Amino acid sequence: MVTLLRTLRGYLFTVVGIAVGVAGLVALGAMSERIVRFIEGGDRFVLGQISAAGRGMGMGAGFTAGGLLPAATLRAIAAVPGVDGVQAQVMLPLNPTTSQFMTLTQELLLGMDLSVPSPNRAYRTLPVRTGRFLREGDRRVAVVGASFAASHDVDVGKRLTLEGESYEVVGLLERMLTAPDRFVIVSIVDAREQWVAKDNMLRTLLASGAAALTAADLNTGAAVGWREGEDPDAVALRIRERVPAVNVQIPSELSRLLRSSTAFFAALTSGIAALGLLIGGLSLANTVAAAVFERIRDFGVKRALGAGDLQLGREVLGEALGVTLSGGLVGIAIALLIGFGIDAWASRTGQQLFFFSGRLLGGALAFSILLGAASAAYATLRVVRLSPAEAIRRGG
Amino acid sequence: MLRAEGIVKTYRGSATPVPVLSGVDVSAEAGALTVIAGASGSGKSTLLNVLGLLEDADAGTVWYGDVPVSTLSRRDKSRYRGRSVGFVFQAFLLLPSLTAVDNVLLAGRYVGRARTDGRRRALMLLEQFGVAQRAAHYPRELSGGEQQRVAFCRALFNDPPLLLADEPTGNLDDVNGALILQALRERAQAGGAVVVVTHRPDVIAGADAVYALEHGRLRRR
Repeated sequence: MVTLLRTLRGYLFTVVGIAVGVAGLVALGAMSERIVRFIEGGDRFVLGQISAAGRGMGMGAGFTAGGLLPAATLRAIAAVPGVDGVQAQVMLPLNPTTSQFMTLTQELLLGMDLSVPSPNRAYRTLPVRTGRFLREGDRRVAVVGASFAASHDVDVGKRLTLEGESYEVVGLLERMLTAPDRFVIVSIVDAREQWVAKDNMLRTLLASGAAALTAADLNTGAAVGWREGEDPDAVALRIRERVPAVNVQIPSELSRLLRSSTAFFAALTSGIAALGLLIGGLSLANTVAAAVFERIRDFGVKRALGAGDLQLGREVLGEALGVTLSGGLVGIAIALLIGFGIDAWASRTGQQLFFFSGRLLGGALAFSILLGAASAAYATLRVVRLSPAEAIRRGG
Repeated sequence: MLRAEGIVKTYRGSATPVPVLSGVDVSAEAGALTVIAGASGSGKSTLLNVLGLLEDADAGTVWYGDVPVSTLSRRDKSRYRGRSVGFVFQAFLLLPSLTAVDNVLLAGRYVGRARTDGRRRALMLLEQFGVAQRAAHYPRELSGGEQQRVAFCRALFNDPPLLLADEPTGNLDDVNGALILQALRERAQAGGAVVVVTHRPDVIAGADAVYALEHGRLRRR
């Protein structure tokens, strides 16, 4: 142990050099992981349910964008063979003046019909960090996503004003690193009132009595489940065939669409990861190899004292492993420090830029150890090829 | 004890090959202090490196007793160096990351010497050479004379029958130089074969055998 500590002290600058490389690798990787989580979260969601909306264009946003989806249509969807559960939803932009195209980061109001269990197989419930989720019969209460809570400084027990109405926040969702982080979730009855308050045309239409609409008809969409053993794409196609005036998303098609629309982010992610590996890897390999070459005279002396190739190789490899492990751990600590520091600052606007997953940290450590060992092995092979006298001369 | 025949060595690193040793024959007997003298750049250190198997000659053979050690495998050469040869270098060549006592102990590491027994012997040698109180110090904390004495302890640690010293007093003042010279003589008197490369007259004067290296050729004085 004492020898190891002495060795590490001798390698202080090497450890720092490796730590910088690994910190860069881990920080870039954590940014990449953050983007991956966002894309994967959306993908999981769309593959977990069939999303339906009324035909046409309307106020709805996100997965329920489209025209009205009246109660009669919901009943027709529920009657399609293979369907298991239809949950009416109202999804609206919280601030209609913001761009409708910015759905990836848009703050949304989601009204859920809580008399029906969530049909989404990937999200049967949304994870609550503090407080509770909505219950059937709740009015004027809201559950909010982590990013929304951070950027609007709301917490359980605080109040929220939406279209002039006051809502009590009863629950805060766990950070999911995907869309629900920016949701305000209320009962569907409250969401319908919000819709009418936001939409002047709808208000005028209802007041004129020209349309035979009841409150139950005010839905922007629905989450549709399928029976066990059914193919969700086939069920979605069946709904499209049998129920008129409805926009039905085929789960696999929507997943493909989502992936193609996030292709830029996926490419960015790969680029960041590749850059991290390249920069971090080169820095680490160079530092370890340089550290071995710097001690070439010591190796010459050891060989003069009788050290064989294997003995020397084992020594160098052991030291390199100790040094890269230490550098790797310090690098991870630096990256965590930087990441959490930046995220603490960014959280004021509801952002999270880094996600330090276990696979990232473990992978970075394993990568640094393997690359360190490989670099040390390469450098050692070069060194042991020299005669002891040559090694001493070169290190002089 | 040690014999070299027909040693030829040419350095080919630069554009023009530099011949250093051109058929050198030399021998060193047990119980004798053998000196190889010559001007700077005459190839003395190269010859000592070849005798200690620190580098290979282009031609010729080094014998240790009846064994042509220069033809051994790399592994066996390492073993031979560890067990049979002690080296003393002009630049001391102590490892900067190790204390004085650990530098001495390093010589035992590669020949499988037990660590507890080794530590006792290392401290005894340091005591014998008057640097025991510096055992826990790092080389950077020692004077040149102290470093050379520690290096001498390292060379003697495995009690090698052959001691090769390259300008061992070159970086020392007169007092420390005389101390090291005395230790070399005592080693020879104790039965060891000692080969010293030097150009110092006082070392040459106390030698049992003196060779002069000139233009790649060695002649006995």
